[in-house]
Amino acid sequence: MRRLSVVALSLAVAMVASAHIGSPNVLFDGNAGPYPVRVIVRPPEVVPGLAEVIVRVNATDAQRVLIRPVFWRTGLKGAPAGDEMRRVAGQDRVYTGQLWLMAYGSLSVYVTVSGARGSGTAIVPVASFATGRLPLSPALSGILIVLGALLIAGLLTIVRAAVGESLVPPGEPFDPVKRRHANVVTAIAAPVLALIIFGGARWWRAEDAGYQRNMYGSPAVDPTVTVDATHRTLRLAVHDTAKFQAIYAPVTPDHGKMMHLFLMRVPQMDAFAHLHPTQTDSLVFTGEVPALPAGHYRLFGDMTLENGLSLTVTNTLDLPDAPGAVSPSDSDDVWIVTPSATRVAAGAVASLGGGFTMSWKGDAAPLTARQLTDLHFVVRDAKGEVAKLQPYMGMAAHAVVVRDDGSVFIHLHPMGTVATVSQEVFALRDRGDTTSNGRLRAGALPGAMSGMSMSGDLTFPYEFPKPGRYRIWVQVKPNAQVLTGAFDVDVR
Amino acid sequence: MATLVRSIPDYQSKATTQTVATSRLWHAYTLVFAAACVMIGVYWDISWHMSIGRDTFWTPAHLLIQAGGLIAGISSGYVALETTFAGSEAERQASVSFWGFRAPLGAWLSIWGCGAMLTSAPFDNWWHNAYGLDVRIISPPHAVLAIGIFAIVVGAVLLTLAQQNRADEQTRRQLAVVLALTGGFLVMNFALFLTEYSERRMMHSATFYEVTAAAFPLALAAMGRAIKLRWAATSAAACFTGLMLVLMWVIELFPATPKLGPIYQHITHMVTLSFPLLVIVPAFFFDLVLHRFDGRLATLPLSAILGVVFVVTFLAAQWPFASFLIHNPLAQGRLFNANNFVYWMNPKYEALTRRFDPPEPGSWPLAAHLVIAMAIATLTSALGLMRGRWMTRVQR
Repeated sequence: MRRLSVVALSLAVAMVASAHIGSPNVLFDGNAGPYPVRVIVRPPEVVPGLAEVIVRVNATDAQRVLIRPVFWRTGLKGAPAGDEMRRVAGQDRVYTGQLWLMAYGSLSVYVTVSGARGSGTAIVPVASFATGRLPLSPALSGILIVLGALLIAGLLTIVRAAVGESLVPPGEPFDPVKRRHANVVTAIAAPVLALIIFGGARWWRAEDAGYQRNMYGSPAVDPTVTVDATHRTLRLAVHDTAKFQAIYAPVTPDHGKMMHLFLMRVPQMDAFAHLHPTQTDSLVFTGEVPALPAGHYRLFGDMTLENGLSLTVTNTLDLPDAPGAVSPSDSDDVWIVTPSATRVAAGAVASLGGGFTMSWKGDAAPLTARQLTDLHFVVRDAKGEVAKLQPYMGMAAHAVVVRDDGSVFIHLHPMGTVATVSQEVFALRDRGDTTSNGRLRAGALPGAMSGMSMSGDLTFPYEFPKPGRYRIWVQVKPNAQVLTGAFDVDVR
Repeated sequence: MATLVRSIPDYQSKATTQTVATSRLWHAYTLVFAAACVMIGVYWDISWHMSIGRDTFWTPAHLLIQAGGLIAGISSGYVALETTFAGSEAERQASVSFWGFRAPLGAWLSIWGCGAMLTSAPFDNWWHNAYGLDVRIISPPHAVLAIGIFAIVVGAVLLTLAQQNRADEQTRRQLAVVLALTGGFLVMNFALFLTEYSERRMMHSATFYEVTAAAFPLALAAMGRAIKLRWAATSAAACFTGLMLVLMWVIELFPATPKLGPIYQHITHMVTLSFPLLVIVPAFFFDLVLHRFDGRLATLPLSAILGVVFVVTFLAAQWPFASFLIHNPLAQGRLFNANNFVYWMNPKYEALTRRFDPPEPGSWPLAAHLVIAMAIATLTSALGLMRGRWMTRVQR
């Protein structure tokens, strides 16, 4: 038996947070009761901090939109009354507001729309963690240095006056002896003051270091590949790396799977797999690697916890050759090897095989970072008709967006960036379908959700976080087989 | 007047004592008013954060703090400009020089305090943006703000002191009462800054007595010596206690609910700070000691007596009172305010506040720490006595 073990190096990523890599903004397309809504939540980089919330209500009869931050730990009963959103001037259906995210952990923004048809609420899960730190700008540094210097000079002048002239009765001269005494005391005070400032600077540095220790650190994953005569098995051990624990609740199935694992060969991006390893221990996942070619791969693993928090772990691994034919360990595992991808442009069409095509129907103009973008695709059958789609793990489609350097990763659905299981978790939390220690009852969650539009006309709302070249894989199930379209897009 | 003549022998030849003694009393009172605005504002603001949580700049509590700072800065700035460019000879002679300008020392300290408060604003704003909206009292920008507030209070004290030290007997009495109030502000300043080290659950721990020993004897000894009242330290401590109690009992009457989450305590009214520390007890004994020994003993032995007296009397009062606050159901009403849990206090932490913190594993016995506290109190009493002596000499 041949045995190879590969433990890859951790990836250094510029920004990390929860169920994505480097793509913190949350988008949701769905309904708040009878009102169709699109919700954008831009979380703050620091917590406590202000999240920006934008809601578009696609109805004319909405009168009021209320947003509330609901933390998993306290549920609705521990949420504040909420803030009414402001209607954007000149835009009837768009509302904006801000919410303070005060604590770390799993949170949902509850968007309640009220109008002629009553009221309804959409639950938009958000991870509330500190992910960044504001540097001190040169201008502010300059202002603080000038003000600080003035204060120090002023204080020394006051000290000199306090031990000198202020003790001289009105009308008496401030004689040279007293003046010299005042100067001596001031000269002694200066280094004492310097020492205090030095102590203050050390305090500041300690506070800064303490803050950085508590910033969100993505949990890590250690991959190991074991090869024998008939199997090529990937074992993933997940663990926290930061001082605080991100994983403080058990993993719960999302679309009926404990982990959604994405593998892509780098730098070619020519081999891609969406796999579902089995949970063999609380944070250990094992699965067979299907017929992917050997090479250097980047992996992203999505999992959701029972508190509604979705997390992504990432690493790289070197995949050895398969010893022979290997079969997938999960029936929903999908993989594809394509030497090239279709570049996103007006009228761009990718062949999916089996006579099906996927065409880009989004903006013809170049895509822009940090702006809401509809990734719009249409799946057609051999006759050119818009295809009817079967649900693939409860969804009409799954899309994976990855920046070519791996610094951005997100798993999207037509409903946006949120995980449906997270919404379910919060809904269950509010109904009290949890035990006293917060864990979900076994079987409380359905294995897979359905009810999405099953048309082949698909829209994924997204905001690219930064410019660069991105690869988009879109997975649909127009017949019994899952098909994958691959697109490349340059974002400015 | 006789005292004044004795202390300022050459003065009468240059200006009338009455004119200088009572000149610009309005400024002293304005600074005291400004300091009161700031101190009440700070208390209110802390209560606001404990109850409502919203931290916009324009809360009434913030405005009161800023108004206090500006009143102090602007009135003192006006006095500085007037003294420099249009002041009478007497006013100029009752002032000190600062970069070519002239004003009383207390005015300069107030201007400096206002400057420190203004400097802390962009620093604090950046701090919140960089590290989050902290709910902590002790942070570097808050320290700058606290130093600014401290300077304004000390400015009010000095300005009033200078007036007191020059005044006739009748004005002196009047000013001494005002000084007791400003002394109360000083004690309150220390008490508020030490809030996070003086929670009820800590009051049987060594750290609590060491931390309080590092702060209160300084203010009590200085006030005890500087204010021309028989019960000076007691009066200052009484002003502190009275102000804290009035604020506690009044503010907690107002309805309030948190605007931020997560909410663990479903409060309906403003949450206020805990019952004030019983600093008035050691203050009374400070006065007794000073009556008996001040002027007869040197600073060091006197401060050693004060150090021991502070720890022993404060311990004797606060220890059983803390037991009452923690264990007695009577303490949980509005009168003693022992149920003042902030809205974000989770049940686990609340449970911790219903008993005293156990000693740190491996720490020295409490008695050893109390000896350390006495040493600290001796040091701070000595500093306070020296400061008090200096304060009695301030003339401008």
